Amino acid sequence: MPESRFSKLLRVTSKGRVWRSFVFILIIIIAGSLVVFGNYYNQAIDAYKIPLPKVKEIPFRLGLDLLGGSQLTYDADVSGVPAGEQGNAVEGARDVIEKRVNVFGVSEPHVEVNRTADNKYRILVELAGIKDIGEAIKKIGETPLLEFKEQNTARRALTTEEENSLKVFNESAKKKADEVLQKVKSNGDFSALAKEYSDDTTSKDNGGNVEWVSKRDSEEIASVASKIAIGQVGSTYIQTDRGFEIIKVNDQRIKEVKASHLLLCYKGSEGCSSEMSKEDAYKKIKEIKEQATPKNFADLVKQHSTDASNKERGGDLGWFGKDIMAKPFEEVAFGQKIDTISFVVETKFGYHLIHKTDENPEYNISHILIATQSIDDILGPESDWKNTELTGKNLKRATVQFNPQDNSPEVSLEFDEAGSKMFEEITERNVGKPVAIFLDNYPISTPNVNEKITGGQAVISGSFTVTEARDLAKRLNAGALPVPITLVNQQTVGASLGQQSVRDSLYAGMIGLILVAIFMLIYYRFLGFLSIIALAAYGILSLAIFKLWPVTLTLSGIAGFILSIGMAVDANILIFERLKEELRAGKSLSTAISEGFSRAWPSIRDSNFTTLLTTFVLIEFSTSVIKGFAVTLMLGVLLSMFSAITITRTLLRLFSEQWFEKHRWLIGYKKNQ
Amino acid sequence: MYNIISKSKIWLSISGLLIATSIVALSMWGLRLGIDFTGGSLLEIQYNTDRPSVTIIEEALQSNNLKSLTVQPVNEKGMILRFQDTSEETHQAVLTKLRELSPISENNQVNFEELRFESVGPSIGQELQQKAIYATLLVLLSISLYIAWAFRKVSRPVTSWKYGMATIISLFHDVIIVLGFFAYLGHFHGVEINTSFIAAVLTVLGFSVHDTIVVFDRLRENLPRSNDDFAGTVNTSVNQTLRRSINTSVTVLLVLLSTTVLGGSSIHYFSLALLIGIFFGTYSSIFLASPLLVIWQQMKQRQS
Repeated sequence: MPESRFSKLLRVTSKGRVWRSFVFILIIIIAGSLVVFGNYYNQAIDAYKIPLPKVKEIPFRLGLDLLGGSQLTYDADVSGVPAGEQGNAVEGARDVIEKRVNVFGVSEPHVEVNRTADNKYRILVELAGIKDIGEAIKKIGETPLLEFKEQNTARRALTTEEENSLKVFNESAKKKADEVLQKVKSNGDFSALAKEYSDDTTSKDNGGNVEWVSKRDSEEIASVASKIAIGQVGSTYIQTDRGFEIIKVNDQRIKEVKASHLLLCYKGSEGCSSEMSKEDAYKKIKEIKEQATPKNFADLVKQHSTDASNKERGGDLGWFGKDIMAKPFEEVAFGQKIDTISFVVETKFGYHLIHKTDENPEYNISHILIATQSIDDILGPESDWKNTELTGKNLKRATVQFNPQDNSPEVSLEFDEAGSKMFEEITERNVGKPVAIFLDNYPISTPNVNEKITGGQAVISGSFTVTEARDLAKRLNAGALPVPITLVNQQTVGASLGQQSVRDSLYAGMIGLILVAIFMLIYYRFLGFLSIIALAAYGILSLAIFKLWPVTLTLSGIAGFILSIGMAVDANILIFERLKEELRAGKSLSTAISEGFSRAWPSIRDSNFTTLLTTFVLIEFSTSVIKGFAVTLMLGVLLSMFSAITITRTLLRLFSEQWFEKHRWLIGYKKNQ
Repeated sequence: MYNIISKSKIWLSISGLLIATSIVALSMWGLRLGIDFTGGSLLEIQYNTDRPSVTIIEEALQSNNLKSLTVQPVNEKGMILRFQDTSEETHQAVLTKLRELSPISENNQVNFEELRFESVGPSIGQELQQKAIYATLLVLLSISLYIAWAFRKVSRPVTSWKYGMATIISLFHDVIIVLGFFAYLGHFHGVEINTSFIAAVLTVLGFSVHDTIVVFDRLRENLPRSNDDFAGTVNTSVNQTLRRSINTSVTVLLVLLSTTVLGGSSIHYFSLALLIGIFFGTYSSIFLASPLLVIWQQMKQRQS
């Protein structure tokens, strides 16, 4: 039996060892190719129906400069967090931002925390291929900061001196308010007087106009305004916590309406499961309308309504503003009087009867403010409240629910285990006292604590509309930031610039490589040819690692890769020059090969090692752009040592010495005479 | 064999002249730092059709109160706006103004595209400057330590730390030439340096050492077996590695030349910096580092 290549493999001769490493190299190159060219391989299998298993297609991870997109850097302010907790708090903020980013549908967002040398925390947000970066920034920044605060009992009392000066100031303010009110009443020009006397700097120049004010903005002002006719000035001033305010009502409109409804849907209307025909439905609702009174409305709803979502609550829709309900519904609801039942209203959902239970008007108001001083002005604002350790990061879930007494929407909060315990402690030490819930530094609810609350449930109630309550719950669920953040750095690259850069750079890199290949072929002939194969293998292995790791490829990363090819070529050239030198010295080919390699090795090792040192420093100390460059260069240098030593040598050894002796010109060297 | 060492005075004068010119350029003009280092905003847009003139844009943006606004046309259709670091609102306001200036054309195509926007806070810029300096110093330190260690066995007739010194001097030479050239480019062509320039300089630094080490390694190998004097041995070693040095540089320079000429605008100056640095890196490893060793050895001989 002739000696087959296979038996050579098994036999441990020097030649056999060469074949073995050749097979090994072949295997990793094929594996590498499948990783790099997986999509082409799969396409080929599909096209020719080859019975081979498919491979997983792994894409390159492209950096933002190539893909187009934005990088946002936020500073996280951890000054309010105890030292040991800071890392966790920032990680929490990172998670929240990631959720936020996911909500507006960015493919593979990348959010990471960086800690700078001087102990600051940075959060890096990378959004690939996003169109409206302004919107994204708004959404990230909009994330609420939820805090629970308790009364600050440590607040000091005013000194007698301060108290006296406060009294004197406020008395003179009152006197001034009386004077101005007299002037207004004696038919003075309101806007001119506002300009002259008002202490409200934001409104004094436009005639004191503060735009629309509803009950939610200021209970006192809205209730007074409701008694003033449009275009008239109030007969007396209102004392608010800002000072004395003389108000004029310019206009009035309805902001929100509270109503319940009875719906009869029919076959074909939106979201309807009833089989009733349109004609029958109309006839039936007409009948119901005949007998409906505000008193029996809720019962009629429970009997007849097809709107299952609020049937049990008597059809209560809660508070709603404009542009929430279907147009015809809204027009009727806003127009009708309180505690009346509407005529039959048709929308795309079917026929409605509307029972309006309440409305929230708002008033366009101008005012003249004569400011007074309060304790806050002397001791500083918000000193009433101090932070507790409970924050939004302890929030597990927020849901909308309706108050069983008056059906008003509320947001209920559920805390995690640690949060429940904290909440229990907070309520325990504040029985009989208020606890405030702050959202973005603004108190949204200050309920009184009646008893210790266990079980980790809190309720935020206020005069929410259904929409507002839902929005709040949604925002809280998406996450409340445990620490405040500020945007300090933004980089956006347009997609077309990225694509252009990729195309240009790849093209340039290819041309460069072809030139190198031509140079190597001309100068080193057969050796050059081997080095090209080794370099191609090196290229495939590098790209496979880029995909598998995965390394984020940026422009400078690609530059690093191209440079590492330079290093790989250098290793080959070093070896070839040594090899030729040894041949010139009259050594046999096999000695020359092994001598060439072993002598070139120290230079390759030392010179590459210094490059590796440089890349280590760059990876440790620099920012993302340079890091990408350093990572690809480092990988390239490591692999190039492997390719130059192992691949080139194995290929060289595959050919027998006699074959080389016959074709010496292939190495570009003639035998010494 | 070329007698490189005996003509070392010529090479040293050339290098001296290049270094002096670069230092003069640097001290006269300095480097033009990009917003990566100084903080600020950069907005690059590309028009599809006619672009408005610089003065029209400047006038339109006057009401936005942008501090230190400069508007600079690039290529045929591009425009680069620079101003102080800013909030997202200002960014959007500027874009709105620009859109008003160049209304939507008939086929409903937006008339320009935002290619990139960068806004860097001044503290980040400062931090980056600091980091770049630390990184460079650390690279230098670790390289010289490594060389002193790698050449620990050769201490005759020149001590091993002198190899390290010669390497550091030649890499200083390469880097200062690149910096000097970019000072010139910054002054006359408005080229700004950014983070990727730092990457380029550090790579030049690595390459320069890479090259010098190959030459020194040959010397390290030849010294124990050589019958020649030190200058002669150095000359032989340099000649033996000459072909490799040139061939390697040629291949690397081929790639860089094509990325400089054909590569995208964003890697143009990056490649250019590498091109210059690596060219002089090869030069210095042959014509500067090795002659320096010989001169030190001769100085020491004359003393004794």
